[in-house]
Amino acid sequence: METLVQSLVSGILTGSLYAMIGVGLTIIFGVMRIINMAHGDMVMLGMYSSFWALTLWNIDPFVSIVFWVPVAFLIGMLTYRFLLKKIVPAGELNTLLYTAGLSLFVSNLALLVWTGDYRTIKLDYAVMPLRPFGIAVPIPLAIAFGMAILITALLYWFLVKTDTGRAIRATSQEPMAAALMGVNAAQMEMLTFGLGTALACGAGVLLAPSLYLYPTVGEILVAKCFVIVVLGGLGSVQGAIAGGLLLGVVESLGAVYVSVPYKDAIGFVIFLLVLLFRPSGLFGVGKS
Amino acid sequence: MKKTVLIIIGLIVLGIAPLVVRSPFFVHLMIMVLMWTVLGASWNILGGYAGQVSFGHATFLGAGAYTTMILYLSCGVDPWYGIFIGGIVAVLISLPIGFICFRLRGPYFSLSTLAVAEIVRLVALNWESLTAGPVGLLITTLPQVSFFGKAINWESKVPFYYIIAIITLIALIITYIVSRTRVGAYLLALREDIDSAESIGINTVKARVVALALSAFLAGIAGGFYAMYLRYVDPDAVFSIGLSVEMLFIAVVGGLATVGGPLIGAIVLVTLGESFREHFLSGHLIFYGFFMMLAIRYMPDGVWGRINTLFKKLRLKKDVNHGTA
Repeated sequence: METLVQSLVSGILTGSLYAMIGVGLTIIFGVMRIINMAHGDMVMLGMYSSFWALTLWNIDPFVSIVFWVPVAFLIGMLTYRFLLKKIVPAGELNTLLYTAGLSLFVSNLALLVWTGDYRTIKLDYAVMPLRPFGIAVPIPLAIAFGMAILITALLYWFLVKTDTGRAIRATSQEPMAAALMGVNAAQMEMLTFGLGTALACGAGVLLAPSLYLYPTVGEILVAKCFVIVVLGGLGSVQGAIAGGLLLGVVESLGAVYVSVPYKDAIGFVIFLLVLLFRPSGLFGVGKS
Repeated sequence: MKKTVLIIIGLIVLGIAPLVVRSPFFVHLMIMVLMWTVLGASWNILGGYAGQVSFGHATFLGAGAYTTMILYLSCGVDPWYGIFIGGIVAVLISLPIGFICFRLRGPYFSLSTLAVAEIVRLVALNWESLTAGPVGLLITTLPQVSFFGKAINWESKVPFYYIIAIITLIALIITYIVSRTRVGAYLLALREDIDSAESIGINTVKARVVALALSAFLAGIAGGFYAMYLRYVDPDAVFSIGLSVEMLFIAVVGGLATVGGPLIGAIVLVTLGESFREHFLSGHLIFYGFFMMLAIRYMPDGVWGRINTLFKKLRLKKDVNHGTA
């Protein structure tokens, strides 16, 4: 019983960060129909930003996120404006290939600059885990969980309550109609790409104290991300949140009850099953 | 007529190149170029002609590599047959994959191949009794083979060059046949519009399965060769997503759905890559990524496609000049 609760808890903690990354991917897909293969590398860049802020300037990751997220937002907008904008009209497959190229470029540049060494972030207050009710909760993961929920909730509020958010959702649902209603689609696309990148990068900053850092970490993260957004239905924000939490729990239960080496494979098997039998996601809200 | 002359010149160059240039680095470079040509051609049949963009071709490469390696190490089967059997095993593996993934279209197909490839990699990593897991398999000696009464010296790279040159020719000939026959036309039709293709009576499932099988066969053979040439395989060396993406890049940069495209792509990318590998490991992938972005942005038809259009324009100009004169 205790193992079950323990693995559920750690699954939900990790899942909240998966959800944050997945939401970023899904809004980008929803608005621009870009399947962003470079999304995982944005997470990787976030992890390294957090690492360098700590090592060079001695700024705690949970503080440095305050300036890394806006920076990532700007970088995302610039990336869209100068690299992706011309590619998007050429269709989903072209953007898929293009972002795959971008991903390879970014991750190998990182490999060249920062070498392939595994790095870790050590925080003084994170040595011992919290033990509420006899369940071990690593402190950095708990803080990251809180922040991820906060950021995701903020984004959700932004999308649902503000005019800009409504414009983004309108573009996602029906670009033509949105444009006719006076929504500046190009602006919304740039904004959305910035937001998606900021979410990925922010999740990376938060994840850095809990994971190993290496330049190709994005490869496995982006694959997980696809699992999440397909689980929840491509383009759906709520779906991505649910999918993220679900994948976190499934992985952590799988590691306990099935096998540790195959824990990543479980996610992919579920992914294939969902693609085959429920292509619009578990909740049937996605675009197929 | 001109084409035949060009092809004959190409064949002669291919045949005598390692005898003229004796530097081992150069021979190694040519072997890598040819091997990646085969892999690019393999990807091109499925991704270029049939338009089914796969992110999981490393599965077939790995299947071929491991089959050849395991057959040689534990059953003593000569790599000659092993490479061929590797291709067959890759085809067998491709059938269930096709059965699953061909139900999906466009980007969804791509994502599903990515998932399958990751599952296969994890299985190879963890099925230690068969694959020795992350440790990998290593061979120290290759079997004695004599050629016209002379024992082949496996320490030199030249025999490997001729083997891969023959495999490359086979790959290019297969691509040519595909492009010229009914199957090729079916594939192009289903690439352009799968529903229309079906509605005029093309069995698109069958056509795609044929394309996948051919593609897997070539990748498997190249994989077997890769294993014998490097004499070492491990799951990350032959099953990684990175390899699948490299194959894709070579085909796209060279020119999708062209016979010579993969050759051009491999010459451009592998030459650049291998010359930079000297200075920093995996630096070549930076260029691959960069060229991929350039190719999609500025020449979606690839280098070969661009050259073709340029030639056509030139010819057109000439004809116009003749007309006025």
